[in-house]
Amino acid sequence: MNLIPVAVIVPLLAAALLLALEKVLPKRLADGFALLVAIFVAGLCLVISLETLDQPEAYWFGGWRIQNGVVLGIAFVADPVGAGVAAFAAILFSGTFLFAWGFFGDTGTRFHVLMLVLLAAMVGFCLTGDLFSFFVFFELMSVTAFALTAYKLESASLEGALSFTVVNTIGSFLMLAGIGLLYGRTDALNLAAIGGALDGHQADALVAMALVLILAALLIKAAAAPFHFWLADAHAVAPTPVSVIFSGIMVSIALFGAARLIWTAFAPLDQVAPAFRDLLLYLGTFSSLLGGLACLIQRHVKRLLAFSTISHVGIMLVGLAALTAPGLAGMLIYLVGHGLVKGALFMGAGILMAECQDIDEIRLRGRAKHLPLTGLTFAAGALLLAGLPLGAIHEGHHLISAAVEAQHPWIPLALALGSALTGGAVLRATGRIFLGLGPASNGEAEGPGKPEHETPGRPVWLMLIPILSFFAVACLAQGPAVTDTVLDLAQGFADHDAYGQLVLEGGSGAREPSSEGHAAPEAPSSPILPWVSVLLALLVAGLQLLRERLPAPLVWLSSLVLRPVFQGLDRLHNGRIGDYAAWLAIGLALLGGAFVLP
Amino acid sequence: MSRTARLVLFFAALLVAVPLGILGLIGLPSFGHHVSTYGDVVDAMGTDLRHVTNMVALVTFDVRGFDTLGEEFILFSAVTGVTMLLRGDRGEGTSADPVRIPHRRREGRSEAVTGTARWLGPMTLLFGIYVTLHGQLTPGGGFQGGSIIAAATLLIYLGEGYPAWRKIVRSVLLDLSEAAGVGIYLVAGLVPLLAGATYLENILPLGEVGSLLSGGLIPILNAGVALAVAGGFCSIAIEFLEETREPNEDET
Amino acid sequence: MSVLPYLIAGWLFVIGLYGVVSSRNYMHLIGCLTVIQSSTYVLLLAIGYHEGRPAPIFSDHPSGPAVDPVVQALVLTDVVVGAAVSALLLTLVLQLKKRRGTLDPDELSPERD
Repeated sequence: MNLIPVAVIVPLLAAALLLALEKVLPKRLADGFALLVAIFVAGLCLVISLETLDQPEAYWFGGWRIQNGVVLGIAFVADPVGAGVAAFAAILFSGTFLFAWGFFGDTGTRFHVLMLVLLAAMVGFCLTGDLFSFFVFFELMSVTAFALTAYKLESASLEGALSFTVVNTIGSFLMLAGIGLLYGRTDALNLAAIGGALDGHQADALVAMALVLILAALLIKAAAAPFHFWLADAHAVAPTPVSVIFSGIMVSIALFGAARLIWTAFAPLDQVAPAFRDLLLYLGTFSSLLGGLACLIQRHVKRLLAFSTISHVGIMLVGLAALTAPGLAGMLIYLVGHGLVKGALFMGAGILMAECQDIDEIRLRGRAKHLPLTGLTFAAGALLLAGLPLGAIHEGHHLISAAVEAQHPWIPLALALGSALTGGAVLRATGRIFLGLGPASNGEAEGPGKPEHETPGRPVWLMLIPILSFFAVACLAQGPAVTDTVLDLAQGFADHDAYGQLVLEGGSGAREPSSEGHAAPEAPSSPILPWVSVLLALLVAGLQLLRERLPAPLVWLSSLVLRPVFQGLDRLHNGRIGDYAAWLAIGLALLGGAFVLP
Repeated sequence: MSRTARLVLFFAALLVAVPLGILGLIGLPSFGHHVSTYGDVVDAMGTDLRHVTNMVALVTFDVRGFDTLGEEFILFSAVTGVTMLLRGDRGEGTSADPVRIPHRRREGRSEAVTGTARWLGPMTLLFGIYVTLHGQLTPGGGFQGGSIIAAATLLIYLGEGYPAWRKIVRSVLLDLSEAAGVGIYLVAGLVPLLAGATYLENILPLGEVGSLLSGGLIPILNAGVALAVAGGFCSIAIEFLEETREPNEDET
Repeated sequence: MSVLPYLIAGWLFVIGLYGVVSSRNYMHLIGCLTVIQSSTYVLLLAIGYHEGRPAPIFSDHPSGPAVDPVVQALVLTDVVVGAAVSALLLTLVLQLKKRRGTLDPDELSPERD
């Protein structure tokens, strides 16, 4: 039996079963059942990934293939990268289900049902080779996520869920319109067929518009500036297990989807519009800096982490926008490293909400001294985010920087600064919460009005298991072996012609082992850059915590410069849907405008 | 950002985006003259290959049947989400009336309404089943039929009042109907897989063109969708009405 | 050569988005989202239409060339997506109204303003 459809069907079937048995299941059984399903899916996706290492495989649903030269059915195309990302998503879900043991008492199995459907949607999203089923799984991801965000039913979570829903739904319709335009041009929905029809043609206004619409939808989901506003509102207020999934994989999976489309349907993108490519690079860099700066003024720890996600997804966008296999490989490694570390940090925040009954950094000052292990993981996560040369984040960051530095030497510096800012902000929070350092207030933006807490009384050691294992994997996944493998896989992923052959002609799609070797990354942009970045993070954290002891003129000067910046940032991220929609329109205009530039 | 600034921003974006959009849209094939090769192949071969006359149903439930599975789960998730987010301390209590506006005098239900609803309800239910069963032949199918069936149960509410409606249409049944509906779809896809074909492959006997049992798997999938949609829409209606109902004194 | 239906789809999209940008009431905002969605219906169906051809349902006329059934199936999915999202949005708005007593998207909770 072919395993490819099973990876999507099993979590869906499990969700339907859980809903049907809601009234009769013992309480904890749902937790265990969902955990088992997630582990099973992870294993299955890993097996698919390994099986397709030499040769990707197309799976045609319903047995419909190609007739009279027209692709009729829906194909899943399993390749090691897609299945690998799906497996990573399932691993994050496994850790999250373990973390959420006993979290959701009063809603029966609804949480598990929605989470399992979300997992199935992600697996389908990674494996599909059809543009419309890509949209269906994209939308399925969104709908489950909308409902999960509002779970707590406080007014902040309802507002966050509303802006999340409205902005992302506009995104879905953008994508659907783009699909319609492409269908009007190519009469095809299969990615390889679209790629075949567009191959060798100059992209005219219609194709450009379709690309802009679809890419905008994915950038909204990936929260790249100026589409990013909804993210902090939603990720900060969602229940912690849900935030782990959102920040860990749901944003970055949209970038993976964009990579899939770019290298299958829109292969000749880089020749089409250099200005467009550059715009994506700038948007990524800008997001990275914007997210990092916004981190500094947050005192709601989960909102701080959410802004740091915006910053790091910006870095991944840069890797994607390089439009080269090494850049893509960097993005993939970064996706895994960031997902693990950010997931673990959100879980740490969850422990605070369960044990200290609050999530406000200022109010929590010094109140978590009895949780040394959680504090250590916070500090480790901060250093890794800042760019400590260890583990997957660093490996990915290095590849991404190397991919763009020849043309834009300043981008690696900006990205290092962005990482330093988010790492510094997390370090500051660590120092204040776990060590009681720093003044009682720092002039950060207003925190949550009343303490937010989450189901107390869950065993801390159980919650620490996924955190520590995530850290272990994130730190160990490094070294030349990892880099070389992923580079090799990324090269196969980016092989437009082999993909088309595999799907359309039933060709083997086997990759010839590249004899020339892959473009191994050049010597690091600068081996000391990561250390500078870490030092900067320490400096940022130190300055913010020791503000009171600094010479008065220095404080005055810094607040003179920084206060307007921070106030402006705070005012921009104001939670107003109308503003967010206006920024969305600006983003569309930017993306479209870049296409007409020479 | 003030509202004026927001609108200025928006219109500035339009200034760039609208001309580009028009440029893109006029690149489409002239309206009414687009020959879609995909659609033409389906139209040409559909009846021969699957013995059905409704090509839209053929695309929805066979050629692109896997999309429809995802689509069913979109609805499923939305209903699950709605019931999760409208949770409250309410039981299965049914005595009070929902949608009551304070200070407005309550009119009794007129006999004409009850009579019409009693007559119309079963007819609507029948029509819903008819639309579902004929999905592979004429316009309609599980989504349409399921919504009509849900509407039929709402007629019970209209004619007999809220308590009677809640007594007949139990939430547990609706959950079951929804889960069974998506379950049928999932399992109907799995059976061919176990038989050595691909997922959702239509390997059942295809029947006569134009007969109620034609199309192999398609009527089964239609029935599954109808169950899920009817259950889901009823659940949503109940949840929203419950939200406006004053809780009884005995349910706290 | 006619492109009017496509332009109508574009127009619906723009006014829907304008509505979302300028809305002062969540219920109105949900309506505007539906307008945006309608534009995708119009676009997809217009792309599939072929002048003079019958519907792709051959129960009362012989099979032969017909308008494109594929886009119609896509629109069916679109309709379901719309229903699902609207139901969720209405739920969120209902709960927010209970907690905040207002439906104005610009009036935010005290801790955010």
